Amino acid sequence: MTQPIVQVDHLHLSYRKVKAVSDVSFSLEPGEILAVIGANGSGKTSTIECVEGLKKPESGAVRVFDLDPWQHRREVYGKMGVQLQETDYPMHLRVDEVCRLFASFYERPADWSLLLSQLDLDSKRKRPIHKLSGGEKQRLSILLALIGRPKLILLDELTTGLDPEVRQSMWSAFGQIKNSGIAILMISHYLDEVEALADRILYLEKGEQTFFGTQPQFREYAKKRISKDGTLPWNPQNENLSLEALYLQMAPKSEGLTMEGIL
Amino acid sequence: MKRFMTICQIEFFLFLREFFGCFFTLVFPTMMLVLFGSIYGNEPFSPGEPLGMMDLSVPAYATMVIGVTGLMAFPLTLAGYKEKKIYKRFDATPVGKKTVILAQTTINLLMTLIGIAILLAAGILLYRIQILGSFLPICVSILLSTGAMFSMGFLFTAVARDAKITNLLCYLFYFVMLFLSGATIPDQLFPESVKAAASFLPMTYAVDLMQGAFAGDGLLQHGKELMVLSVLTALFILVGAACYRRKDWS
Repeated sequence: MTQPIVQVDHLHLSYRKVKAVSDVSFSLEPGEILAVIGANGSGKTSTIECVEGLKKPESGAVRVFDLDPWQHRREVYGKMGVQLQETDYPMHLRVDEVCRLFASFYERPADWSLLLSQLDLDSKRKRPIHKLSGGEKQRLSILLALIGRPKLILLDELTTGLDPEVRQSMWSAFGQIKNSGIAILMISHYLDEVEALADRILYLEKGEQTFFGTQPQFREYAKKRISKDGTLPWNPQNENLSLEALYLQMAPKSEGLTMEGIL
Repeated sequence: MKRFMTICQIEFFLFLREFFGCFFTLVFPTMMLVLFGSIYGNEPFSPGEPLGMMDLSVPAYATMVIGVTGLMAFPLTLAGYKEKKIYKRFDATPVGKKTVILAQTTINLLMTLIGIAILLAAGILLYRIQILGSFLPICVSILLSTGAMFSMGFLFTAVARDAKITNLLCYLFYFVMLFLSGATIPDQLFPESVKAAASFLPMTYAVDLMQGAFAGDGLLQHGKELMVLSVLTALFILVGAACYRRKDWS
């Protein structure tokens, strides 16, 4: 058994007495992709930010490369690449400059010129970042997560704002990255993406961990919950339901939006 | 160290691309010099006295340069990075925000010195101004004034809720001090009541110290200014740091 790259035990976090994360535990091995899923406000980003050392856990243990990321930021970040949910850049900063800047932070940075052309940003080199389109900014944020040749990559919404073709090629790229032994921890709202990429799934509901296990185990778990609720008796002919369809049947039903105010 | 130099280099480019900061640091003071120089000239005030109007004005305009970087460029960069969560992005790298803030301070300091150098060069070329003071007192006066102005800007970023409020505080104090401290209008012209009000403004002491140092006074002749500026610098930094401790950076 290899040493896990990320080990989280009984993590708790609150903001001014409002519980954001309570009793979350999981681990991540080299060459594995773990997807954190759950509704808006279920504590996904808070959980990941504890792993990133950007938030201090209230209680519980977070180990990354067997170090506390809150205390050993520098060491941990030497081997960890991060894509944040919302990132802004200094006004007037250009694409090539941010690459050169971030490359200078690491011991053995990747060839960012190559990365730029691989991510189809080559023609935008000299462009100010604030003039990039949403998809271009997204690809740049992925590039910056990869630039330090990390052993662990944390992604908060990998393919938001990307077109279908680019999403597909991003999936295959991250499949290759994973196969090279790099561990990936990702937050996603897209269950097709989770289905394509994730080895294991962490499912959070209102800050609490309701499931952690492999993708096939998650399917079993979802089926059990669906049949128990009795909302839809399980139909054996539907064995090959997509992960998204399963999830939607399992997740607590929302009230539904009504538009009375404008209709 | 190589990292730090790269950050500094990039911050330097960013400073040059920011029109307002760049214009008011590098160009505007020299424009003031030409404008007022063309009105007053630099003849000695009275026969036998060594100094003329521009000899006294150049150190005052130099204080204005310090005011621009300390109250406009530096704090507005800090507040902008914080509000747009750019520091958080740097915290998610091996470098972290402290190094970036240090680089930003360094570059603003450097631009202050460049701004003052341009102003002095223009003063010497156009009006043959005389610098009677020696190197050390002039350096001390520049550094202390810079300390007071930068720490004041830092304090504004710490007490303000967002970048807009920081902006407001900085502009307000900058313009009030610009006109009342003697940086642009000689304070000898002010009535007593205005002089009394000006004595509450840190820049007034900076202008007095700078003018004294350039005119050849010893530092000990300006004990009061030295004292006020050092105490204010320490106070602004301490209060600012205390406010930041209670803030969420992310």
